[in-house]
Amino acid sequence: MAEKADVRQGTLALMVLKTLEALGPLHGYGIARRIEQVSGNRLALNYGTIYPALLKLEQEGSIASEWGISENNRKAKYYRLTRAGRGQLKKEERDWAQTAAIIARFLNPGESAS
Amino acid sequence: MKTLRGLFLRLGGWFGRARREREWSAELAAHLELHIEDNLRAGMSPDQARREALLKFGGVESVKESLRDQASLAWLETILRDVRYALRGMARSPGFAVATILSLTLGLGASLAVFTVADNLLVRPLPYFDASRLVMVWESDPKINAEHNVVSPANYLDWKAQNGVFEGMAGFTQLRSAVLTDNGRAEEFGAVAVTSDFFPLLGVEPVRGRLFTKQEDRSPGGVTLISYRLWQNWFGGDEHIIGRKVQMNSFPYTIIGVLPPNFYFLDRETDIWGPLGLDPAQDYRKTSGRWMLSVGRLRPRVKIGQAQAHMTALAKRLEQAYPAFDTNWTVNIEPLRDALFQDAKTPLLVLLAAVVMLLTVACANVANLLLARYSARSREIAVRASLGAGRWRVIRQLLTESLLLGAAGGIFGVTLARWAVRGLVILAPKDLAKSAGIHVDFRIVICAIALSAFTGLLFGIAPALVTSRLDLMSALRGDSRAGSGGVGLRSWLVGAEVAMSVILVAGALLLFRSLVGLETVNPGFQPSGLLTFHVALSPARYATPRLRTQFFARAIEQLARLPGVRSVSAASCVPFSGGCAGTSVNIEGRPPAKPGEEISVSIETVMPGYFHTLGIPLVSGRDFNEFDNSDTAPYRFIVNQAFARRYMRGEQPLGKRISVWMDVQNNPFAEIIGVAADARELSLDRAPTPTVYYIHSHLSYPRMFFLVRTDSKPLALAEPARRVIQRLDAAEPLAAVRTMEDVMGENFARQRFSAWLLAGFAAVALILAGIGIYGVLAYSVTARTREFGVRAALGADSGRIIALVLKSGARPVAGGLAIGVAGAFGLAGLLKSLLFEISPHDPATFGAVPLLLAAIGLVASFLPARRAARLDPMEALRTE
Repeated sequence: MAEKADVRQGTLALMVLKTLEALGPLHGYGIARRIEQVSGNRLALNYGTIYPALLKLEQEGSIASEWGISENNRKAKYYRLTRAGRGQLKKEERDWAQTAAIIARFLNPGESAS
Repeated sequence: MKTLRGLFLRLGGWFGRARREREWSAELAAHLELHIEDNLRAGMSPDQARREALLKFGGVESVKESLRDQASLAWLETILRDVRYALRGMARSPGFAVATILSLTLGLGASLAVFTVADNLLVRPLPYFDASRLVMVWESDPKINAEHNVVSPANYLDWKAQNGVFEGMAGFTQLRSAVLTDNGRAEEFGAVAVTSDFFPLLGVEPVRGRLFTKQEDRSPGGVTLISYRLWQNWFGGDEHIIGRKVQMNSFPYTIIGVLPPNFYFLDRETDIWGPLGLDPAQDYRKTSGRWMLSVGRLRPRVKIGQAQAHMTALAKRLEQAYPAFDTNWTVNIEPLRDALFQDAKTPLLVLLAAVVMLLTVACANVANLLLARYSARSREIAVRASLGAGRWRVIRQLLTESLLLGAAGGIFGVTLARWAVRGLVILAPKDLAKSAGIHVDFRIVICAIALSAFTGLLFGIAPALVTSRLDLMSALRGDSRAGSGGVGLRSWLVGAEVAMSVILVAGALLLFRSLVGLETVNPGFQPSGLLTFHVALSPARYATPRLRTQFFARAIEQLARLPGVRSVSAASCVPFSGGCAGTSVNIEGRPPAKPGEEISVSIETVMPGYFHTLGIPLVSGRDFNEFDNSDTAPYRFIVNQAFARRYMRGEQPLGKRISVWMDVQNNPFAEIIGVAADARELSLDRAPTPTVYYIHSHLSYPRMFFLVRTDSKPLALAEPARRVIQRLDAAEPLAAVRTMEDVMGENFARQRFSAWLLAGFAAVALILAGIGIYGVLAYSVTARTREFGVRAALGADSGRIIALVLKSGARPVAGGLAIGVAGAFGLAGLLKSLLFEISPHDPATFGAVPLLLAAIGLVASFLPARRAARLDPMEALRTE
């Protein structure tokens, strides 16, 4: 099994937003689970760390929460993307792609043709 | 936006804390349940499922902790903790806190107060349209030191018609007075007459009614504008004021307009604005001298220097065209603001400079105190650092403390400034404070907050950086050399304090010696026991000189009968109440003076008994008597000694005949019958001017100043005097009732004001410098306790140790003294115009000041030195 990577600062929020965009309203456990799955289990993610990130996003207005009933009849807090959150996600995706591209150029200087 | 929203949510979160905690517990519990169920479904045993879920979650409590951090304002709590800690620290060493806050309060308070006054007078825009282009246009004759002379209407009209630099020019008169009568009330108000283009030139619009028309300019009379103040106070804000008929000096007038509330020009005493008729067709050079004032608006982009050059050339042409009238006369252009605050500018600049120095001393002192405190706490800080406090955390703690001190100093400083401004305005000479409504405004408070925060930061951050870079190990060991890196810096600070103090004390001493000099100057008359007031007779009801002479003679006669009155007289101008008229004189037997070399004199009209009442001795000859005071009596003159000295060249003036150019037609040669001793009539610091005295019947003024000499309190006579005048003529009010001593006091109010204020600053600076010196030495003694112990143990006696400490204190003080004396010597020139009969480089002052500072330095260093000498070697060696 490959070495697990730590969650880089700032990337967790992006993953949360993207997850909510893909799956619609979801509880914290579901979000954590999904992130782990998408990463192909290559991320060392403590599920607990998702909650401060969720709180922060909620404070910023990117997501909203309300109590609901889970698929197996449990009371759980559901998070959903707000309109502002969608905008935020677009922006972060763009930023991230740009950053990744720049970093990639540094890491592979030979490819920078321009 | 996002952050702001988060901030509010967090602030909210700070309150509903219990509810949030419950919600989090429920949410995290639900999370674990969901996870466990999943695990069970995946086939784990209940124990294993639970263990795996908890492991994967990673510490419920630590998650809650970070949720709490996220939800509440962690930084706010840290700050509160820092603040609490700082306050506790200050309470433990109250001396430090008090000294620091006091330094800041005094420094900030004094500077804010002076900045406020300066801002009001020097910076705030004048209430005119585009005021920076407005200038006063004076006539100027540098030969007789008249650079701000009144203007001849003829020259004014020529300037106006021929210049190419002014967009417009307007004329007006000096402040006069007019008696306003309305429905049986009569009161005297300040009045100025202006040309019709005056208000449009300034860009001033009336709040009611209209301004003067060109027509009214040509045939003046009958219409008047009034000030907003007069409208509100005298007419009760009557809405039907326009068109109201009143009497002025017993002539009928109609009020046609009210000026805006904030409007003033040159002074704030003018309530009545009348039209000034000037006819360009008339040759004023034949009929009148120089008596009016003029203001001009520069064309856009014309510099004041260009305008000056242009007008000088124009004046040169006029001088050639009219040599008899204009020889030596040129033009002086002065920005309006300078003309308004001419006399206030120098004292204010001196005060500003002084206050900046005081602020520097205060800040140096605060920095010094903070440095000492941090050095003393180096061990505590080392402990914190070694327990894991980050460098930034330590700096933040230290900064919190200095910011707190800065804030306290700022708050007290603003409070002090508000008081001080009130005091300044009361204490200030009238012309300094005539810009009514000086107050500490919002901008100044902002400035104070910025200043105190800046002080806190600047003088907090340097020591904080020094201390936080401590060598942990040596600090913990209690090595007294650690953390003493600030000593060099602190010596510099003390040196700076001493230097500034020297400058302030030298300035204050110079001003004080001038003040004492002024107060002991002999004015040439007896000011105590004299009451003065004036009465301005209506030219309509007292149309002939004879009627006026009669009125004044009768008034004097009846006033003299009041109980307690020793003698009474009257004159056209009294000492220190502004200038008298001036003109030129011809002496019989000498050829008429060439243009530009006239015998120029002050002219004063007196009633009999003037010299006796004022206490001016007659050196030779006699005083005027009532027989002289008749229009049928021959002309006779009295001159003063200055006249005799300057123009008679040692000849005996008595019996000589002179002719005074006072009247266009009738200036007969007449005999000098007396020579009066010199009196300082303009101001105490100016030498007496050559003066010719007329008797009232031959040069009749409608407005005369009464002088009443009494053995008792002069002001007790004010009411009886008022009744006497009322009985003679109820329509003629008394004005400006004051004692001569008050009049004189105002004369050097400016010097007194500057001297006391600077003395206050100097005293504060001295105290602060003393504290600074003491602080540095006291600290270094503490830090060197062990060293002194060793020295004592090795046999150094107390004298040597005292000398050692004194020597280390002497270096910064001596350096500061040298710089300070040099600085004071350089800056003293600034004071020149405020000094009286004392050189700005007065050797006595410059000898005394360093001695004083050295004495203070000695006392301040002796206390710590004695402590060092009294150290018990055993105790000292055992410390730390």
